[in-house]
Amino acid sequence: MERLLALWVEPLSEERPDGSTLRDYLRVLDVLGALCPFVEPIRLGLCTLPIRGPSRFFGGDEAVFAAVRQSVCDVLGLEVFLGVAEGLFCAELAARQEVVLSVGQTTAFRRSQPLAALGHKELATTGRRLGLYTVGDFADLKSASVAERFSATVRVLHRVARGELAELPGQRDTRLAARLRSARGEDVVGDEQVGFFGQRSAGDDRAQAAAHRVRHRLGPEGVLVARLRGGRVPEDRASLAPWGSPSREVRDDAPWPGRLVGPSPITSLHQPVALDLRDEHGEPVRMGARGSLSATPTSLVLLRGSRRGIVWFAGPWPLVERWWASGRRRAHLQVLLDSGEAMLLSAEGGRWWLVGIYD
Amino acid sequence: MTGSGYSYEHMFAFSTSRPRLSDDLVATLRPVTLAKSRMVPLSEPWASLTPGGGLRRGSTVVVHAQPGLGGLSVALSLLSEASDKGHWSAVVGVDDPGVVAMSDLGVDLRRVLFVPRPRGAWAEAAADLLDGVDLLIVRPPSRCAHGAARKLMDRVRERGTVLIALTEPAAPWPLPVDLSFHLTSSRWIMSSRLDARYVTLLVGGRGEAARRGEHVVMVPDRQGRAVAQ
Repeated sequence: MERLLALWVEPLSEERPDGSTLRDYLRVLDVLGALCPFVEPIRLGLCTLPIRGPSRFFGGDEAVFAAVRQSVCDVLGLEVFLGVAEGLFCAELAARQEVVLSVGQTTAFRRSQPLAALGHKELATTGRRLGLYTVGDFADLKSASVAERFSATVRVLHRVARGELAELPGQRDTRLAARLRSARGEDVVGDEQVGFFGQRSAGDDRAQAAAHRVRHRLGPEGVLVARLRGGRVPEDRASLAPWGSPSREVRDDAPWPGRLVGPSPITSLHQPVALDLRDEHGEPVRMGARGSLSATPTSLVLLRGSRRGIVWFAGPWPLVERWWASGRRRAHLQVLLDSGEAMLLSAEGGRWWLVGIYD
Repeated sequence: MTGSGYSYEHMFAFSTSRPRLSDDLVATLRPVTLAKSRMVPLSEPWASLTPGGGLRRGSTVVVHAQPGLGGLSVALSLLSEASDKGHWSAVVGVDDPGVVAMSDLGVDLRRVLFVPRPRGAWAEAAADLLDGVDLLIVRPPSRCAHGAARKLMDRVRERGTVLIALTEPAAPWPLPVDLSFHLTSSRWIMSSRLDARYVTLLVGGRGEAARRGEHVVMVPDRQGRAVAQ
């Protein structure tokens, strides 16, 4: 079962008469959609996303939690309960209790829950009389004896208790997707990129089918498609998104003063690699406050330890973006190594990063 | 092309009970296959370096280069004309494709699928994609086993796709191929920044004579394109 991050936003779980609940819930989905393309609306107040991809992207579960909390707080000013577990049933419980379970802990967690967690009052009452207090106690009953004594609904709950089913019947609001669509004022046709490709040919269909097979084999982030958007440097302009994720057609015709000119690196690192620049004495080369280098770089040291000679460099080209807000300062530098390889480096946060290779 | 999937004679070889058709009728029924439709188009400078000015469907091409010297630019540049003409392509095993540079090379990104990290399953992913795309670039993560290469090339031949394998000296392609570009050297031109790069390639291959020998291509030029020298 997939490890899911569940978000529980209590104030959005009760529908207010003015219809604002649905709108607010939509805004939560939209802001999360910017973090991860696989956000799944479950029912009002609850949604999930697979944690594995975002966690790798943001650099750990904690970083994802921080980003999610921040985003929800930014749009609605609401507090959100987060939890991680395998399968929807446990993920929701984890969120309500604010628990993060690592791989393999879900079973124990599920078994320790009170029987009432299965959301069936009669079962909880009957169970208490039979001396069954937890989901685990109930799970230990033989399927045959459950089938003998209880209704079909309870048999399904028994399978959930045993971990054979990932979610409770009725845990998901089946009409929610349609309501969200009409609230957005759109009718989305599936999730494949129909709008993205415009008219489809037989070749397009074949390619889609092939992409499907690979996604099935490698998981949702196995197949990516590229999109370009506005930006000054290649690593900002490029975006690779999982194939099949909702696409927003982004036009890239705005002028970007200060855009890096000349060829762009054919390898653009998704996660920049930290490195050191050294001068001829082996001293670190830093970016000065006025946008100049502290010394002439003569070698580059990757943190893995390999050292490469620099025969030529150009820049730095400082880039101060949105200085009125956060104030992200970066500077770019091109270097040519003695091996003939050319690289694009970026200085940010007091460090040098490898952001591109001109292979 | 043994056991050719294209040969109509071969397809009907077993249906002996079929009544014999008149030769006139056969002549009109037989599809007229233009040489062009058996080619995936290439833009310049590549078209003039290859026999027929394109990549023959079912063939395997190797782009062989020391990492970092331009092999990736050359390989991805081969997609430009085809993607522009509506052909789909896929790129398997290229970790962090620089899509801005690809777009500058003239590649229509709307028809490119990327499988950056197939982990252990690159050959399987490549096989999955063969049915769906016209051009398939693979960069095997390590030395490609003889058997895997054989299987992939057979499948490529059967499907009429073009396989472009991007290899490096530490892990060469284990089998002879139809067309090969060996990058022998590369040289950057600099001003106040990196401007352009001359890449020297040795064109080779078997069968129809390509324009064998050494050629110099500028990739990227100042606008990020590939141009002949």
